[in-house]
Amino acid sequence: MTQGRGSFLLLLPSGGLFLGLFFLPMAGLFIESFRLYVPGNIGSSANAPFTLANYQELLTPAFAGFLFETLRISLLASLAGLLFSFPLAYWIVRKFSPRWRAITVGLFVTLMFLNVLVRTYALELTFGAAGPLRPALLWLGISTNGRGYIETLVGAGLLHYIVPVATLTLLGTIQNVDPRLIDAAQALGAPGWRAHLGITLPLCMRGILAAFLFAFTFSISAFVIPMILGKGRVLFISNLIYNRFSEIADYPSGAAISMVLFLVALSIVYVTSVQVSKRWSA
Amino acid sequence: MSGRLLDDAMWLAGLVLIGTILCFLLTPIAVTVIMAFDSRAYLGPLPPPSLSLRWFEQFFSDDYFLRGLSTSVKLATLAVTISTAVGLATAFVVERTEFAGKQLLISLFLSPLLVPPVVTGFALLLFLSHLGLIDGFARLLCGHIIITVPYTIRATLTGLGGIDRSLTEAALSLGANERAAFWDVTFPLARTSIVSGAIFAFAVSMDDVAVSIMLTDATTYTLPVALISSMRANFDLSIAAASVMLMLVTLGLIVALEKSVGLNKAIGQGVFRS
Repeated sequence: MTQGRGSFLLLLPSGGLFLGLFFLPMAGLFIESFRLYVPGNIGSSANAPFTLANYQELLTPAFAGFLFETLRISLLASLAGLLFSFPLAYWIVRKFSPRWRAITVGLFVTLMFLNVLVRTYALELTFGAAGPLRPALLWLGISTNGRGYIETLVGAGLLHYIVPVATLTLLGTIQNVDPRLIDAAQALGAPGWRAHLGITLPLCMRGILAAFLFAFTFSISAFVIPMILGKGRVLFISNLIYNRFSEIADYPSGAAISMVLFLVALSIVYVTSVQVSKRWSA
Repeated sequence: MSGRLLDDAMWLAGLVLIGTILCFLLTPIAVTVIMAFDSRAYLGPLPPPSLSLRWFEQFFSDDYFLRGLSTSVKLATLAVTISTAVGLATAFVVERTEFAGKQLLISLFLSPLLVPPVVTGFALLLFLSHLGLIDGFARLLCGHIIITVPYTIRATLTGLGGIDRSLTEAALSLGANERAAFWDVTFPLARTSIVSGAIFAFAVSMDDVAVSIMLTDATTYTLPVALISSMRANFDLSIAAASVMLMLVTLGLIVALEKSVGLNKAIGQGVFRS
């Protein structure tokens, strides 16, 4: 085709945008994370010497605690999300009439698009310390101020987004499994639960991993959900970065924590995709 | 047979599980909608004794919220316009040309999706302060462009990829110049994908807190940032009223998506990070 060299000029706007608003800032973040921070300043001074102190600080048990807590709550929420979404998606694909299926898909897309603030506020209003569930919780002996409850609430906040997205992801996966395979297994005498465990689940593994990857990376970089539902007692790494910026203006330390969070997110994506391509190489 | 019994138990467990999940997903939304119309001045038990619009009135008489609302709408409109135009230009070249490293280039264009938003926001904050850019709106616009443009590029790429190349060649051989072939043939065929990309971008822009909260200044802030600060300060039900209005915006976007592209198709090409 006659593609003039001129058409490459059309790449200039995006090239400029990505360089100026993404790649250079990320490189700057990397450099800033090695700058020496003098307490009392806002950020590092222009020619601050380089140091590893910002990373050394992250080797302390206190920071490891935040990282571990972020990973733990994220992992539990992602696994719970898959546990709920898989049967839900299966039900929608196999048992719902096309009309009901369209309605549920519409509902789940709406839930997925729901503003994160609305989601968080609604959960706080319903399950928080002043919510309508308070009498029932008190009766059960659950304190809305207990650490376990707050952690559960943060997990529930993540779950409220994970379930719609994971269900929608899995719809396509389950649709691709031929239902006659299950019929055949059952005709040969396998009870339904064994047929599913032996056939449906393995055939859907790729979709399940994709949904898990999405849920887990979403969770570890969550910001608003732990900020509001965690009430300052559960802090995710994202919140820690924001606090370094807003409370003490220690930019180099915020930059170092950002690099750690970025690397954790990247390695999760990398490990999961390697697993997927190793098992299902095309 | 114990297998049969187990199957029945699974069936029942499945129903209970699905009922529980739907309750969990929908109850908070119902509670918020009801509370937004609560006529009491304090947080009381449900249901409220009478309904009123007082919280909506309070929201609209609060300058702090209104300023955020106006910034958010301007910002989302401008950011989505720029991202959609840039996305179209980029996808057009990438889709229509073969060159080494094409896949790598596409991954680079999608790479902001892999970075936690708070990290993107923090990196931009540092970079823009080094450049001396301190205007709140300009900084927010930078942030919102970079978080929305991967969505518009991806959606447009998918759309252009589905168009038969021979249609353009036919137009060219019939005497149309490249410009005419693009605007009369390619663009109309790709329009639904471009629209779905723009709708996703708008939703992403309205939803963002983590990037915006880093880039605001004292007088320029988005509605979500305004809501989150007052949410932490006190428990005012005008936030519930704002939530109801944001839900209506979401519903509007969903209806627009369904009318323009169809939800099933939009889901296939839009949201998920690959």
